[in-house]
Amino acid sequence: MGKTGWAWTWFGFLLALDVAIPWFVLTHVEKMSGAFLFWTIWVVVAIISAFVIFLKWKGARR
Amino acid sequence: MSATFWVWFGIAIYIAVGLVIAVMARRRLGAGVSEFFLANRRVGGFVSALTYSATTYSAFMMIGLAGLTYITGVGALGFELTYLCGMFMMVFFLPRFWLVGRKYGYISPMELLSDRYQSKWVGATAAILALVFLVPYAAVQLMGIGYLMNGVSQGAIPVVAGIIIAVLCAIAWSNIAGMRSVAWTDAFQALIMIVTSAAVLGVVVAALGGFGSFFGKLESATPGLLTVPTAKGAWNINMFIGYALPWLFFLISNPQVSQRLFIPKSVTAMKQMLGGFLIFGFIYTLISVLWGFGATLLVPGLEKPDLATPTILALPIIPMGLAIIVMIGITAAAISTIDSVLLTLSSVWARDIHKGLINPKVSEARELRVGQWVIPIMAIIAFVFAWWAAEQTGNVLEFMIARLSVAASAGLLMAVPAIFGAFFWKRATASGAIVSCIVGAIVVLLFQVTGWKPLGWWPGTWGFIVCVILFIGVSLATKPPRAKAEEFIGYLKEKLAEGKFI
Repeated sequence: MGKTGWAWTWFGFLLALDVAIPWFVLTHVEKMSGAFLFWTIWVVVAIISAFVIFLKWKGARR
Repeated sequence: MSATFWVWFGIAIYIAVGLVIAVMARRRLGAGVSEFFLANRRVGGFVSALTYSATTYSAFMMIGLAGLTYITGVGALGFELTYLCGMFMMVFFLPRFWLVGRKYGYISPMELLSDRYQSKWVGATAAILALVFLVPYAAVQLMGIGYLMNGVSQGAIPVVAGIIIAVLCAIAWSNIAGMRSVAWTDAFQALIMIVTSAAVLGVVVAALGGFGSFFGKLESATPGLLTVPTAKGAWNINMFIGYALPWLFFLISNPQVSQRLFIPKSVTAMKQMLGGFLIFGFIYTLISVLWGFGATLLVPGLEKPDLATPTILALPIIPMGLAIIVMIGITAAAISTIDSVLLTLSSVWARDIHKGLINPKVSEARELRVGQWVIPIMAIIAFVFAWWAAEQTGNVLEFMIARLSVAASAGLLMAVPAIFGAFFWKRATASGAIVSCIVGAIVVLLFQVTGWKPLGWWPGTWGFIVCVILFIGVSLATKPPRAKAEEFIGYLKEKLAEGKFI
């Protein structure tokens, strides 16, 4: 699988976590350290992943 | 002096500064359609990031999302952060839009679709989709401003007056210098949005005893709001997907934001735009959600959740000066979205409907004039819709800003398979794109109007499933524009490798 394929797979994995963890793991945790903290950390991971990819971009000639 | 006076004074200052910026932008306005609608694709990274942020984030955040958090809890955070996670797809789409925009000179995302599928009807269909579904989206921004000014002035300023002010500002800022005035005023407004919202959240958190105490009070007073589904039954998985799916693809489905993928002047500007937006979005989302949670503690039991923000701003714990500045910040968020929507709709009408279908030989000057006329017309339509929706008193949830925003984006979602196909599937066809957009949109509208939710799935979910199936099925059954697909995707493949894009 190429880089593009890996990036799509990673994105799909993040989306799976988006539902799986809050609804199936943290559903009874009525604290800020539950779904609130999960989603905050989860999106930071997604943002860092995007940075890792786009910081490698370089100017392309038209 | 009364609160009403200071509210008007604050609005006057805001409008004056915005006008000065717009007029300054006009001095650099060149000639032509590309200049007016895309600032000639020469926007720097900093302004690109801020105009993208201000266009994306609107009254929806500090009023709609805060209201949604207020009534439904932490699921609102998950839903909004799902949008931000969806921005990961920018690593695929941003360079692709940018590269083909430069090579083929596209003005609107719909023009890209028309060219790629070699059918002006594809662009026209996507354009009509945008014209239909962006009106309620623009209207909710107007509602937000109306509620806000009414609340902060403690009822002295009628909701409709706020709506009229927003309409006039949006018309002016999008007409004065097109994308250049919109981008510059957006940058100014984005800074106001983030600074004022952070400041007022700080005041509220301090009033609640600091973050530790704030979180502790939330856990003890409203524990049911910190899980999904909530104790009251909100945010079951169907609801979450119904809300999050249109948001996930917002970056390509909403033309007012995808059109901005054409404007950065260089790869460096593109990187700054994306990085700046991700940071802005993360901070602004957390602020809006925490603000909504703050409202559950400070002003519980409100009938209209969208009034949570105006109600807090009218509390004695918020100094009046700060309340007015925050009101201006939220107004800025709303107007910066409306003017971008109006500008995009005008370019879509001028390029994809007028030039694409009605008069293909139209001169560039005439095309531009047509676009400029569309701006006030669309603004008036949005105004009428906003006024009507703001007057509704029946089912509060149906007319919540968040709900209406998502409903609008559910319709726009129907263009997503065609956009994916344009970049990634050589076998995709014009017929597949047109049929999937039209039937998908009809399904969304039908389910939205009737409130029908088979299996508990929301209109956007059903529409998207139907749309994807039709797009693939009809494409496989019809003949693709093979030569264009090879050239378009082949060009991208070469340039993506050259620029180390993926």
